[in-house]
Amino acid sequence: MFSRFFHRVGILVLPFLGLLMTACSRADLEVRQSTLDPKGPVAQVQYDVFMDTVYLVIVLFVLVGGLLVYAVARFRSRPGEVVKPKLEEGHGNPLVEIGLITASIGALVFIAIPTLSAIWYTDDVPQEAVATSKLSAWYPRVDASGKENYAKEVADQVLEIDVIGKQWWFRFEYPQLGLTSDAKRTVPNEIYIPRGKAVRINLRSEDVIHSFWIPKIAGKVDLIPGRKNYMWIQGDEVGHYYGQCAEFCGDSHAYMLFRCEVVEPEVFAQWVKAQKTDAVPVVAGSKAEKGKALFAAKTCAMCHNISGHFGAGNFGPDLTHIASRKSLAGAWLDNRDPKAQLALELKEKNTEASMPVDSAQLKANLIKWIGSSGVAHGADGKPTADVKPGNRMHYYKMFNVVGLRESHQKFTDEELDALAEYLLTLK
Amino acid sequence: MSHDTHHAPVASKLDLAPERSDLGLLRPDRSTGLMDWLTTVDHKKIGILYGAFAMFFFLLGGVEALAIRTQLARPDNDFVTARMYNQLFTMHGTTMIFLGVMPLSAAFFNFLVPLQIGARDVAFPRLNAFSLWTFVAGSFVLNASWLFEFGHLAGWFKDFAWYKSLVYTDFAPANGWFSYAPLSGTFGQADAALHAPRFTGVGTDFWIIGIQILGVASLAASFNFICTIVNMRAKGMTMMRLPVFTWMTLVTSFLIILAFPAITVALIQLMFDRQFGANFFNPSAGGQPILWQHLFWIFGHPEVYILVLPAMGIVSEILPTFSGKSLFGYPIIVFSGAVIGFLGFAVWSHHMFTTGLGAVPTAAFALLTMAIAVPTGVKIFNWLGTIWGGRIRFTPPMVLALGFIWMFMCGGFSGVMHSSAPADSQQQDSYFVIAHFHYVLLGGVLLGLMAGLYFWFPKIFGRMPKASVAYVASGMVILGFNLAFGPMHYLGLAGMPRRTHTYHAGNGWETWNFVATIGAFILGIGVFLAFANLVWTAFKGEKCASDPWDGRTLEWSLPSPVPEYNFARSPIISARDAYIEHKHGGHKIGYENDGGEAGVHMPSQSWMPMLASFGFLIIGMGMPMMAMSVPHAGWMVIAGVGILFTGIWLWALEGPGGYMLKTPTGSASPSPVSATTSTH
Repeated sequence: MFSRFFHRVGILVLPFLGLLMTACSRADLEVRQSTLDPKGPVAQVQYDVFMDTVYLVIVLFVLVGGLLVYAVARFRSRPGEVVKPKLEEGHGNPLVEIGLITASIGALVFIAIPTLSAIWYTDDVPQEAVATSKLSAWYPRVDASGKENYAKEVADQVLEIDVIGKQWWFRFEYPQLGLTSDAKRTVPNEIYIPRGKAVRINLRSEDVIHSFWIPKIAGKVDLIPGRKNYMWIQGDEVGHYYGQCAEFCGDSHAYMLFRCEVVEPEVFAQWVKAQKTDAVPVVAGSKAEKGKALFAAKTCAMCHNISGHFGAGNFGPDLTHIASRKSLAGAWLDNRDPKAQLALELKEKNTEASMPVDSAQLKANLIKWIGSSGVAHGADGKPTADVKPGNRMHYYKMFNVVGLRESHQKFTDEELDALAEYLLTLK
Repeated sequence: MSHDTHHAPVASKLDLAPERSDLGLLRPDRSTGLMDWLTTVDHKKIGILYGAFAMFFFLLGGVEALAIRTQLARPDNDFVTARMYNQLFTMHGTTMIFLGVMPLSAAFFNFLVPLQIGARDVAFPRLNAFSLWTFVAGSFVLNASWLFEFGHLAGWFKDFAWYKSLVYTDFAPANGWFSYAPLSGTFGQADAALHAPRFTGVGTDFWIIGIQILGVASLAASFNFICTIVNMRAKGMTMMRLPVFTWMTLVTSFLIILAFPAITVALIQLMFDRQFGANFFNPSAGGQPILWQHLFWIFGHPEVYILVLPAMGIVSEILPTFSGKSLFGYPIIVFSGAVIGFLGFAVWSHHMFTTGLGAVPTAAFALLTMAIAVPTGVKIFNWLGTIWGGRIRFTPPMVLALGFIWMFMCGGFSGVMHSSAPADSQQQDSYFVIAHFHYVLLGGVLLGLMAGLYFWFPKIFGRMPKASVAYVASGMVILGFNLAFGPMHYLGLAGMPRRTHTYHAGNGWETWNFVATIGAFILGIGVFLAFANLVWTAFKGEKCASDPWDGRTLEWSLPSPVPEYNFARSPIISARDAYIEHKHGGHKIGYENDGGEAGVHMPSQSWMPMLASFGFLIIGMGMPMMAMSVPHAGWMVIAGVGILFTGIWLWALEGPGGYMLKTPTGSASPSPVSATTSTH
C-alpha cells in the first residue's frame, strides 16, 4: 500500500513544493531585503542574470524532470511480471551522448554570455556613468557662503564612500567631502547616497571579515582586513533601504545590520552639511546637562566622539547626530514607531517608505541599549541578557581595555534617563 | 621475516593455538566479542564499525540541526543564545561532513570494495584498522569540545585559575565549518609567550586538531583503497570491468589524497598562528586572511565531490539492478566521474565570488563552474538512459535512488544558478546557498547513502529490512526534506543571510522559517525511523537469501553474511557485471584452485593500530587544553606523540603474523540461477 503511494506520487510530486512556494509567495517578494526587487542598476543587472538562469533551469527542469517522471511511469514492471534482465553491456549510444553534451554546453553558453557581461559591468563604475555621476556634475563645489565643498582634484571623480566594518557595526566615511575619522566626522550604520548617481564604495575592515550587502541596491562584496576591496552602487529610487552584514563575523553577526538612505542630490548636500555641524550646547540646569556630565564620568567619551562636546574617542560610533538616526546598536534597534512604520509600508506598498525618528522609541532604545546588564559570556559563565552579546561597549576584555562590565559600572534608572535625555539632544 | 608463526589450517580461528607476535606479546587472533571488534582487521567488520559510528554522528548532527531550526522557527527567538547557536551550526556542519557522510562512505568502501573486485581483504588490513580508530579519535576530540562547553555552562571550572584567566570561553567551535581567518585566527602582536590575541576561544583549537586527526584517518584509508583497487583485483577484473561504485571509490580516494594536503597545511598554519604566534593569517602583522580561503576551498570544493561521488557510485549500482538492464554508457559514467574529480580542483574560487577577486578570475571561475555541470549532467542523462526501456522494480533502495536523482538534479539546478557570479553575489551566504547544498548533500548524498544501506544491508547481515517501514521513512525524509529546504530558496532570495541566530519580525521571513522548521522535524523523524529500522533488522530482522535483488556484481555471489575470507576460492572474471552474466548469460565466473583444505591466509588481529590512534586522541585533547593554559597540558601532548610513535613502532615490530583458515570446498560456485529471477 505504502509502496504504491510513495513510488507513484510521493517521490515525484513532493519536490515541486519548493518551486510552488516561490511562485505562490509573489506578494512577499517585495520584502525589505528582497533580491528580486532591484532598485538600482547593479542589483538590476544581477537580477536579470539571475532570471536568465531561472529560465534555463525551468526549461531543463521540465525536460529532464519530465523524462524522468515519464521513464519511471512508463517502464515500471507490472505486478506479477517476471523480469528477465537484459545482458548487453551498456556502452551507451555515442550519438545520444554527444548530442546531450553539446546541448548542455549550448545551454550553458546561454547563461555564460550575460554572466560575463554582468561581471564586467558590476566590477567598477562604468565609463558612461562617470560622466553623469562625477561630483562636479551634481554637487556644487563652492556653496552659497563661498566655502569649498570638496577639493578641485576630485571634481571629476564619482562620490567615494569608505565603508569600515567592525564587530558589529559599520562606519561610513566620505573622504572627498571631509567626513572622515581624522576630521572626527564619521557616520555609523546609516549610509546616505544621492539618487541616480553612481557611487564607488571602498570596503575596509578593522577586525574580521564582514560583507556589505544592500539586496535591493547591489549584491555583496566582502570587507577583508588587509585587503582593499571596492564595489559600485547606485540607488534609483528615493527611500530607506535595509542592509546586513553577510559574512559570519562572530557572536553578534545577526545583529550587524545597517541602513541605506537614497536621497535626492540636493538633500544629500544638505545632509553632508548637517553632518559637519557640531552638537548644540546643552541647556544649563536641564536633565541633559546631567547626562552630559555622566557621559564624561562614566568614560563614554573615551570611545565615542561628540563634536562640539567631546573629542577624545574614535573607537565606538560617532554620536554627534545620534538623535537623527533611525536605528541604534548596529541597526538592530529601530528608532521609529513600529506600528506607524508598518502601516506606512502597507499604505505605500513598498518597504522604502519610512517614518521619521520617534523620540519616545529612541529614548526607550537608548535606555535598553546602555542599560543592558548581565555579563555576556565572561568567566562567570552566565547566559547573556545583552542586546548584542559580546559587544565591546560592555565587554572589552579582548582588547585589554576595560569595558563597562570590567569596571563594574552600573547605571541607576535616573542616570540612564539623564544619559538618554542628553543623547536625545544630539540631532 | 619469520613464517614460523603460521599455523596449520584451521576451520575456525577459535581453533588456533595461542600465539605470540615477534614482540612476544599475545596476538588477539582468538578473541571474540568486544575484544574481537576492537582488534579486528577484517574490512567487513571495520566497515560495519564505520557505519555504526557514522549513523550515530548523523543523528547527533541531526539533533544539532533541529536545535538550529527550533531557534529559527520564530523571529526574535531566544531558545539558544547567539554563542550557542554559532556553536551548533559549526558543529552541525562539521559533524555531518566529517563524521557523518565521509565515514558512511568509508563504511561502504570498506565493506564493498574487496568484495566487488574479488579480493579477500584490503591491501593493508592493519592500516585500515588504524584509519578507523583514528577517525574515532578525531570525532571524539571534536565532540569533547561539547563536554567542555557543558562543563563551562554548568560552572564546573569556575574555581580553576586557568579558567579565570580565559578571555574567551567558547569551548565548542563557533567559526562555521570553514572557519574563516582572522575570526578563527589572531590579530595584533604576539606577546612574549608567543600568544597573539584571538577572536575566539579554545573551541577553534578543538576544531583545528580534530579535523587534522580526521584528515590523517582519511588519507590513510585512501592510500589503502587506491592500493587495493589497483593491485588486488581478481584475475580478469580489468579496470573497465570494475563496478562503478569501486570506480567512484578510486576517484574519491585520489581526491582525498590530493585535496587533504591543502587543508592539512592550512590547519597547521592556523594552529601555529593561534598557539605559537605565527602570522600566516594575521592581517595586523602582514598575514593574509584571504590565503586561508584559498587553501580551505581548494580542499573544500573537492571535498564536495568526495561526499557526492560515492553516492553516485551507489546509485549507479542500484539503478541497473532494479531496471533489469546494464548501466547505460558505463565508460562515459566512469569517465565523467573522473572529469568531475579533475575539474573539482579548478572551481574553488566560486566559493569566493564576493571576496573581490577581480573581473578576470571571477569570469574564469564562473565558466569553469559552468563546465563542471556538463559531466554532472552526463551522469544524470546516463542514469535516465539506464532506466529507459528497462523494467523498474520498486524496492526501498530503488525508490531512494530515484529520489537521489531527483533531489540531486534540483540541487544541480541551483548550482548552475550560483555559477553565474553576478547572480551569486546576491545569493552568496544567504539561505539560497543553504538550500542549494542541502539539496545536493542531503537530498542527494543522504538519500544515495540510505539507498545503499537498504540495498546492501541484506548482504551485510543476511537480514532484510522491513520494506513498509522503509517506505514510510523514505516518504517522511523526502517530504520533510522538501518542506525544510524548498522554502529556503525563497528565504535566501528574500535576503535572509545564513549563520544569523535570529531575525526581526517584519522582514517577511517568518512564515517560511516556521514551515522549514516543521519540515526539519519530519525529516529528523524520518531519518531516525530509517536508521532504527536498520538497527532492528541487524539483530532481529527476517533472514533472507544471499542474492535477494538479483544482483549484478561479485558480492552477491557470496553467502550472507559474508564469511571472513570472502571468497572460498578466488574468482576469475570474464565480463563486466560478472555475477549477472554468470547467472543469466554466457560468461561464467571461474574459480582459482586455492582455499579448501590448504586454507586461506588471514591477517592477524592487532592492538597496535588502536594504540597508535589512541596517541592521536591524547594529542588532540592536549593541544586545546594547552591553549586553555591547563597546567601540564603540554606534557600530555608530548605523551600523546610518544604513544603514537610507540604504537607505530610496535606495529612495525610485531611481524605480519597471519594464519590459515580452511574454506568449505563445495562453496566456491555461487548460488543457483533459479532463485534469482524475481517477481514484483
